[in-house]
Amino acid sequence: MTTSAIIQTIVVLGIVAVALVYVLKRVIKMTRGKGNDCGCGCGKDCQCKNRPGKEF
Amino acid sequence: MNTDQNNHTTPPARLLDDEAVGKTVQVVRVMGDGAFRQRLLEMGFVRGARVTVLKNAPLQDPVEYMIMGAHISLRHSEAAQIEVTDKDADICDMEDAYNGIVETEVAGANPLADDVLRVVLIGNPNCGKTSLFNQVTGAKEKVGNYGGVTVDSKEGWFSIGGRRVQLVDLPGTYSLTEYSPEEMYVRTYIRDNHPDAILNIVDAGNLERNLYLTTQVMDMNIPMVIALNMWDELEKSGDKLDVEMLSRLLGARMVPLTAYNGRGVKEVLQATMEAIDESEQETRHHNVNYGTLIEDCLKELGAMCPTLDRYTVLKIIENDQHAIDLLDSQDNAQQVKKTAMEMRGRIERDFNDDIVSIITDLKYGFVRGALAEVMKPNPDRNTGETKPGYSLDRLMTNRWLALPILLVLMWLMFEATFTLGAYPQGWIESGIGWIGEWIGKALPDGILRDLIVDGIIGGVGGVLVFLPQILILFFFISLLEDSGYMARAAFIVDRIMHRVGLHGKSFIPYLIGFGCGVPAIMATRTLENRRDRLVTILTVPFMSCSARLPAYLLLVAAFFTANQGLILMSIYLIGILVAAITAIIMSKTFLKHDKTQFVMELPPYRKPTARNATIHMWSKGKQYLQKMATIILAASIIVWALGYFPRHEGQTPQEQIENSYMGQMGKAIEPAVAPLGFNWQMGVSVLTGAAAKEIVVSTMGVLYTGESDATEESASLKEKLQTATKPNGEHVFDPIVAYSFMLFILLYFPCIAALAAIKREAGTKWMIFEIFYTTGVAWLVSFIFYQVARMI
Repeated sequence: MTTSAIIQTIVVLGIVAVALVYVLKRVIKMTRGKGNDCGCGCGKDCQCKNRPGKEF
Repeated sequence: MNTDQNNHTTPPARLLDDEAVGKTVQVVRVMGDGAFRQRLLEMGFVRGARVTVLKNAPLQDPVEYMIMGAHISLRHSEAAQIEVTDKDADICDMEDAYNGIVETEVAGANPLADDVLRVVLIGNPNCGKTSLFNQVTGAKEKVGNYGGVTVDSKEGWFSIGGRRVQLVDLPGTYSLTEYSPEEMYVRTYIRDNHPDAILNIVDAGNLERNLYLTTQVMDMNIPMVIALNMWDELEKSGDKLDVEMLSRLLGARMVPLTAYNGRGVKEVLQATMEAIDESEQETRHHNVNYGTLIEDCLKELGAMCPTLDRYTVLKIIENDQHAIDLLDSQDNAQQVKKTAMEMRGRIERDFNDDIVSIITDLKYGFVRGALAEVMKPNPDRNTGETKPGYSLDRLMTNRWLALPILLVLMWLMFEATFTLGAYPQGWIESGIGWIGEWIGKALPDGILRDLIVDGIIGGVGGVLVFLPQILILFFFISLLEDSGYMARAAFIVDRIMHRVGLHGKSFIPYLIGFGCGVPAIMATRTLENRRDRLVTILTVPFMSCSARLPAYLLLVAAFFTANQGLILMSIYLIGILVAAITAIIMSKTFLKHDKTQFVMELPPYRKPTARNATIHMWSKGKQYLQKMATIILAASIIVWALGYFPRHEGQTPQEQIENSYMGQMGKAIEPAVAPLGFNWQMGVSVLTGAAAKEIVVSTMGVLYTGESDATEESASLKEKLQTATKPNGEHVFDPIVAYSFMLFILLYFPCIAALAAIKREAGTKWMIFEIFYTTGVAWLVSFIFYQVARMI
């Protein structure tokens, strides 16, 4: 196996691991019904208190 | 002739249900008891109110009535509970009950004690609260020209004069009683969160009905500002309203507003801040004067429980259980309850009616009396049948044409989705193909190249190409919703809903379910009866959500050359049919219950605005793209990895993928899906689609990209499916397999987010039931279709 192939494999496995953790976290979060505005999985926290809102 | 307690003579009462179309009559009383009666009273069916019978629904039930300028749909069985008499009969009119106001001293509040101020938006359903909320906070919450769109509180923020304010959008409600979950929600929210001010949104064109809720809020002694929304429509109608005088009478600031275009928003917010600042000092609040007897009772009982506001004290006299429960912390609770009971008896004897009707009549009497002083209706104003849009309505709800028009509109929507969407879809497809090819050439052979080209571009790209169709479909849905037609569709199909044991209100969650199942399941909160809610929650997932659309679009475009719109529409209709059959079975077996009554307000027809439709479309598109960049991207990578490993030297791509982890998994479930005409790739796709339904397509994108040889790399997923073959050389897909697959995707278990919503709203037991039930139904329907179609 060449050095390039080893590096590529490590990068790809890293990406797959991140994707796996992300999906698992999302699934757990969705199962508990937490996080999102409507829970539809869009990932947008519409009720975030830090959202600046409009100035009048 | 009858004589009532005030010596009015009336002709014998008849039932509203017996009145012919076109007739105007006067309400004498609403019979029965409980929540439905209360709802009718709140909606204006009080003694002396005039009702016009407008028309029967196409299936002859329900019937559309006009009362206080609002169009209401009632079933025959429900109209039979309302006693009416001639419109000019001399019966105790509500204006007789007008006693003006009483003033009460309210101690100064300390609104600046908290870091931020909290203002809550309340108002009748479909009066424009969420439109104002979106204008003020910059949010993009869903709005629609029908009631029941908002079922939960939504919080947003704005700043004014250097002060930060939290704005809370509450569900629309006709009153603050205890008969429906949304009423209780609003009432409890206000009681528990002590807002600094209430921003009460009223429909300026329908003040009589809208101000009923205002009379209840007035008694809560919280600073209130009234926004007269849809002011532009009032101006157009030619009616003249003395805003200053009405404001003085109600003791609250009133500001004209046109929420949809933002006219008056700043003035409304400024008035709200002024009301909050003013509440720091001791102020005099205006309350409805209920007459000497009730006012004396309120004073006496109020003195016994000084911590409670006038609203709660009145509710205790009305025997409202939630108000009575608040007494439990008081030492003299028993004495208060006993006194309240005696007072109730005294008032009912004196008025010769029940307490709920008396208070509702008096509140409406106050509203009518106040409006008589401040409102000059335009004598030439269009009402009822001459109202704008009514001729269109006659056509849309015509006995013979209504259902065909509904079906044609649906067909047009789906056909336009296909034909208009095909062009931009082609451009995106070419773009993705070009990127895939370019990266394929730019990167050296290896695992990273395979991940990017086959996993990411093959998976995400396969779903991304359907973005134009999603946008077009939601643009059409938004037009139909904003025009007011969707509520008419509920009116048209109400009888069918009733026949299958569903509550008419279930139509709204079903409608929302075409977008996403999660808010649809939450929207069932507007249903009062738990069994109604359960049946609706368990059948909503059969409404095909937008996440399933990419799979249909892919399969219909690939395997059906003609009538693509009709094929797509048939999938949606089968979903509705399965939901109906499920509802019949459930409501006749383990969720058996009496038919619940239903009263629905039909919103006026409005010209849909391009801005609103674009916002709706854009918000859906953004949501779709966000899903692409997150869950679908991650899932595509995992699916690719499962299809890529373990590696075996010297195998063809076909053999490699069949021996991968994904291939092994697919082979394990293949016996279960083979009777439906599916191969293992399709079996795995539906399995991964559990996380989100778009992943069905992205999985196929990954699995079929892996199968292709180098020359086919730039071919679209559609072309790859068309040419995919079994080991024996036969095509994997044909129209029968494709349709069977679409049926399975339509009916099998909802995504995890929807299941979580079912667990939250109905409990774990029902969530587990739903997983097995929907998957079982999906398997059975696909099996029957596939086997029968193959035989034919």
